[in-house]
Order: sequence, then structure tokens, then C-alpha cells
Amino acid sequence: MLTFIARRLLLAIPVLLGVVFVVMLTIELIPGDAVSLMLGEHATPEAVAKLRDYLGLDKPLLVRYVGYVGRVARGDLGRSIQQNRPVVDELADAWPATLELTAAALVIAAAFGIAAGVISAVWPNSAFDALARLGSLFGLSMPVFWTGLVLIVVFALWLPWMPVGGMGSPAHLVLPAVTLALPSLAMVARMTRSSVLDVLREDYVRTARAKGVAERLVVAKHALRNAAIPILTLLGLQAGQLMGGAVLTETVFAWPGLGRLMVKAIFARDYVLLQGAVLIFALAFVVINLAVDLAYGALDPRIARQG
Amino acid sequence: MMPARSALLSALAVAWAMSVCLGSASPAEAQKKGGTLTIVRPTDPVSLDPQLETTAPGAWVYFNMLEPLLTMDEKMQIRPALAASYEVLSPTKVRFKLRPNVKFHDGTPLNAAAVKFTFDRALRGTPPARWASLAGSLSGAEVVDDLTVDVMTREPYGPILRTLAMYCTGIVSPTAVQKMGPDFSRAPVGTGPFKFVEWKTNTHVILERNPDYWGDKAPLDRVIFKVVPEEGARMIALQTGDADMVLLPAPAQLAALKRDSKYTVHEVVGGRVVFAGMHAGLAPLDDVRVRTALLHAVDRKAILENILEGSAVPARGVLAPSVFGFKDMQLDKLYPFDRARAKALLAQAGWTPGPDGVLQKGGQKLSLSWLAARGRYPKDGEITEAIQAMFKEVGVEAKVQFLEWATVFTQFRGAQLTHHMFTLGWVTSNADADYSLYALFHSKQVPPTGWNTSRYANPRVDALVEQARRSMNQTEREKLYAEVQDILAKEMVWIPVYNTKEIVVTRAGVKGFTVHPVEYNLWLGKVWLDK
Repeated sequence: MLTFIARRLLLAIPVLLGVVFVVMLTIELIPGDAVSLMLGEHATPEAVAKLRDYLGLDKPLLVRYVGYVGRVARGDLGRSIQQNRPVVDELADAWPATLELTAAALVIAAAFGIAAGVISAVWPNSAFDALARLGSLFGLSMPVFWTGLVLIVVFALWLPWMPVGGMGSPAHLVLPAVTLALPSLAMVARMTRSSVLDVLREDYVRTARAKGVAERLVVAKHALRNAAIPILTLLGLQAGQLMGGAVLTETVFAWPGLGRLMVKAIFARDYVLLQGAVLIFALAFVVINLAVDLAYGALDPRIARQG
Repeated sequence: MMPARSALLSALAVAWAMSVCLGSASPAEAQKKGGTLTIVRPTDPVSLDPQLETTAPGAWVYFNMLEPLLTMDEKMQIRPALAASYEVLSPTKVRFKLRPNVKFHDGTPLNAAAVKFTFDRALRGTPPARWASLAGSLSGAEVVDDLTVDVMTREPYGPILRTLAMYCTGIVSPTAVQKMGPDFSRAPVGTGPFKFVEWKTNTHVILERNPDYWGDKAPLDRVIFKVVPEEGARMIALQTGDADMVLLPAPAQLAALKRDSKYTVHEVVGGRVVFAGMHAGLAPLDDVRVRTALLHAVDRKAILENILEGSAVPARGVLAPSVFGFKDMQLDKLYPFDRARAKALLAQAGWTPGPDGVLQKGGQKLSLSWLAARGRYPKDGEITEAIQAMFKEVGVEAKVQFLEWATVFTQFRGAQLTHHMFTLGWVTSNADADYSLYALFHSKQVPPTGWNTSRYANPRVDALVEQARRSMNQTEREKLYAEVQDILAKEMVWIPVYNTKEIVVTRAGVKGFTVHPVEYNLWLGKVWLDK
């Protein structure tokens, strides 16, 4: 098991090296210059040249790449070009906020999605099922900035129960987490429904029922556990999706997360900050995938033995 | 001439200083002390140090902590701030007497050395301050005695006083800069009515009253600047009371808010002119008849009413009225919206209707390429599209290329511009005509040196703006700039569309606030809460 984890983490190194290279190359290719943007409309050409030299931006891409990788290996992510602040500090400010929001949204999506899916599967074509299917269609098709604003109007303006935005108390988390979770919740519900329905038609479920196992146990132990692999895969993918896709939610709810930090970095062409943020995202994806793989093993010992 | 004039100036300065000290003690209503003012605005500052940040998100905050030598009041008059008086010694030297007994927030005394330190850091640092390019030929400061400092320019520089009254020239505490290093930019130390408490990235910046302020102490205990990127969410925060003040409010909601007694809409004509620029060096726009025809083709009134919905006023020239040297170009009189006249002018220039409705001359269509960004200035994309449609009505085709600002910006800064037209906004940062008329219309100020994106060239204008720049006689300068604007009005290389309004909405309980024509000058030193 430990060698498995170690091997997977080692494999992450070339992935991260590649990610950094692709990001640096992309920034090199897109038009727009960080320095003249930073100095603004009124900068003199001398000032631009001076700052470019100061930041080392006049060096060729490969030289900068090797230099950057070398510094990252020593744990130095550099200083944000625009902010002149260590990238590590910037990320440390934004990362917990993103993690909190993503985790909360994932828990909501998993808990409500699986519950709704299972109920729909156990009583297919019931009134609840129809409602859940309609609801999930709604959840999937509504853009988050719209859902977010509607939730704010209803729960912060009309019924003043929740704060409008920002971060702080647990109450601040509710609306953004629900907004972010809705599309994933809908997807998890649909996946759970079809996957549990399939399993409920299996022979071993009929056997379990025939030998008199209580229906609740049939669903929880026999059906859900066997239906869990695709649901888990989906949740793993969604975790990444939620983290990266939180930009709009973060914007609507003034949530100080990584998504907004990255967008800001892109518009300012602050490549140092952007590289750091992408690196963190890539690392998070590697860890999530690893966690999903380990969970497969826990659910299905056959997979663990192969691993 | 010069000594008499400088004596008058310093006498005026002393009078101002006294009126500032004496005049502000009798507010109309009983002012209440205490409370926290919560402000919502769309973006977090880049930095709180003018060395690194000259844009509004940072300036709004540091303007209340760092004070310049001079300041510009709401009527755009120069007032003493940290300087008690000044005297123009020569065309390249101004002597300032500093206020005695002023202390920075960290206890360091304000003296001539601190002023010199601030200017040395800004002008000679590596890299130099972001505002160094805004400061014209400002070259440095010299200590005369503890409270006397001389500010020098490389050459005679008429706008010097307005330059030193810019929001971003605040004097910083030398001890704090040396002690904190790069961290100073996240927790600046100045002399202002508020001092820094906390900055949580992308969340808020908190300031508190400086109890040792040299002037009238701020009534507010605290100010919280919150980041709320979404316009709708900002307006809701104001309605729920989560915010007391909204910067950059939603224009569509202003009419309703003005009718509602729970809110106050503060507005004033601002300093930015948004325009459709024309490349005068590129055929067919090198023909003044074609350019003026395009001005006649544009219905500015319709654009103002239908697109900007009252959030801006029609531009009255290439400068904003709050700028020193502004002259009304009488655009509505000179170039009224008149399609028949536009067509007649184009016909005079030899353009005849083609088979597809687009004018042509010698087999060439009257087709203009146009470079624009979307969302850089309020409604810039929409007004570009509207003008494109209006051009079509007179037989002119415009092909607009919308690109993201960073890309557009790079093209503007390049030595070549291959587009006929461009949408751009310009703010006169130091509120002196020199800043715009020199950088935008002097023939040597073509990018990448300056911002003459129109490639306008007129030797008379060159001579006038140079003379006005070097003159210390403000009456003379005003006359020179008037002549420049008269010439420009005849040879139009812009279609000036609108002049921004600075709009701030507060809850009705927020008192003592006046919105300033310069968007960066958000002064909270007199604001109090009647809750």
C-alpha cells in the first residue's frame, strides 16, 4: 500500500513539470505584456524596460523555466509580479477558502445527491422520482451566477437570514456552498439513480431478498456498495471540477478563493502568481485522484490486490 | 514678474492654510462621533503603496492614510496638505514649509528628510514608482532645514503644483519603509486621518481613526473596505445594510435609488473622457473632411440617453471640465448630429455611393478597421457598436475587432497602429491640461513614447503645448491651452463621446461625504454616521 502511494506521488513530478511548462508557454504565446499593463497607460518606455529587466522577463523562456523549476524545488514559488508579495503568502490566503468551499459543496452534493438517487431508484417513477428528476434537470441547466443571485435575493434580501457575501461565520458558507453544489448534486443524483437501479436488477439482490434480508439492508449493503464505484468516480471528477469551477461562485459571493486569484493573475499577466496557483491545482488533482483510487480499494478488495 | 507672482502665491497659500484650520469647525448638523463605515467595491488593491499602485482600488484606501504636500479640493483648487505654505523660487524650484508637529502613524516626525526620502524612493528606486511617469519632469527634493524642503524639476514645469497635489504623491514614513521592506506595501504608514489595521486579501482592508491626527480628527472609528465583485451583490449589500457606501454602483438602479429617501446618490462630473479615436495618419482619415463628417454622423445624445442611462455626461471636448486649462469645444454647435451634412462632406471629399450602399472612391470602399476592448470603460463595447451602426447610415463601413484589454493595450503601445479607429478613455491624472494635450497631441508623443495614438501632427500645437509646459504663469498657460483646443476643434481627431461621472451611493445616514471629481480622491476624514 505504501509503495503504491509513494509510486503515485513520484509519478506526479513529471506531471507537475509538464504543467508548469505548458502554463509558461501559454503565457508566452498570448499577447499582452505584464510590465506595460502593470505600469499602466502613462508609463515611459524607459520605466517599462527597467522593470522588465528587474523582473528578469527579458530572458528566454527556457532559461526562465529552468530557473523557476530550480527555485520551486527549493520551495520558493517566487514573488507575485503585480503585488510584489511572496506567491506562497498569496496562495496561503486563498487556498483555505477554496478548500472550505469545495469541501462543503462536495459534502452537500454527495449527501443529498446520493440520498435523492437512492430514493428515486428504490421507488422509480414515483412522485418523488419525478420531482427529483425535474429538480436535477433544473440544477444542471441553471448557471451558477444566476442561482447565486437568486439565492442572495431570497435568503439575504427578502428573508434576511443569510449574509450577502464574504467569508467568516459558518452562515457565510451556506449560500455559496449550496450554489456551487447544485449542478454536482444533480449529476450525482442521476448517476446514483441509474447505477442503483442497475444493481437492484442483479441476481444477488434477488437472492438477498429471497433469503429474507430486510429491504433497508438490501439497499444499503448489497445495492449501494456495488453501485458505489461509478458514483465515487464521478465525485472524484466533481471535486476537481468544483475546485476549478468555483470562480463564478466566488465572484458572486465575494469569496476570497483561488479561482478569483487566478483570474486576476491572468488579466494582469502575472505569470509568477499564475504558475504557483496552477501548480497547487495540479497537485490537488493528483491527490484527489490518489484518494479516489485508494477508496476504490477500500470498496472493492479486488482492485486493491491488483494495485 | 516672477517674484511678485510667487509672493502672491505663497500669500494665497497661507490664507488657504488658515481657512482650512478655522473654517471647518461649524458643520450644518450636529456631527456624531464613532461607528464603522463599510464600503463595498469590486476589486482588491494591488498594493497599498503608491510606489506600486496608482489605480483606484488601492488609491481609494491609501488616500486616507498617506498625505501629499498639497491636495486638490472638490472644486479642483490646490490646497495645502502637509505643506503649510509654498513659494515658487524659480521655474524649476518650489520651496515648501512643512506643518510643524506632524507625526507619522509610527511616531516618526514629519520633516524635510521624509519628503526627500519619499521622492528619492519614487524617482530613483529600482524599479521607480508607478507614479514616476505621471510626475512629468519632477526630479527630486532637497532638505533646506528641518521643516523646509525644495522640490526641483529637470526643466521649467508649469504643472508642478498640481503634480504634487496628486493622490499618489503621499509622503511615507522613512523609518517604516526601512523597517518593513517589501511588507510596507501591505501596511503603509503615513500621516493621514486614518491608520492601517488589517488587510485580508480579496476580503477586506480595515482602517481606524488616527487619534493623533494634526487636523480635525476623523469622526469615524473604523472604515472597512470590502471586496464584492458582483455588481448585483454590491447593490443588495447596500439594501440589506451590510454596506453603507457603494463604489461603482449599478447605473441601471440609480434612478430608483435617487427617488428612495433611504439612500443618497452622490455624483459629480469626473475626469475621464471616453472617445472614438481616429488615426489621422492613415487614409482616408488623413482628410479632415472625412473626420468631421464622421462627427456629424454620430448621434451622441442617443448614445448618452439609451446606452449610458444618465451615468455619464456628453464630452465637451478632449478634456474634462474639471481639468485646469479646459475649454468647451462647443461640439454640439460645431458638429451637430446631421446625416445630410455628413454625406455632403464625404461627397466633397470625393466619396460616391457604391452598389452595396457603402461609399467608394476609385474602386476603394470607405471601410474603416476599428480596434476596441470590451469592459475596460463603462459601456465601451456598446458605444463602439452604436457608432458602427451610425456610420453605416451615412455609407461608411466599420469593421470592429473586439479584443481583451491586455491585447488591445499592447497594440496601442506599439510604434505602428494599423487600425483606422479605436475606442479609448483618458483621464487627466494631475488635472492639468499639460498631461493630456502634451501626451496626446504633440507630434513627438507617438507611441511608444507618448499616447498620440491618433498620430496627430501640427507644428503650431507642438509649439503651444511646449510653451505652456514651460511657463509658470498660470493665466498665460490657460490662454495657450485654449488656443490648442480651438485648433483641435477644427481638426478633430477624436469623436469625444462621454465624460464619466463619479458616482457613489450611500445609505442616508452617511453624512459629511462629498464625491470628488478625481475618482481616486475618496476622502473619508469628514464622514460621520447618523444611525
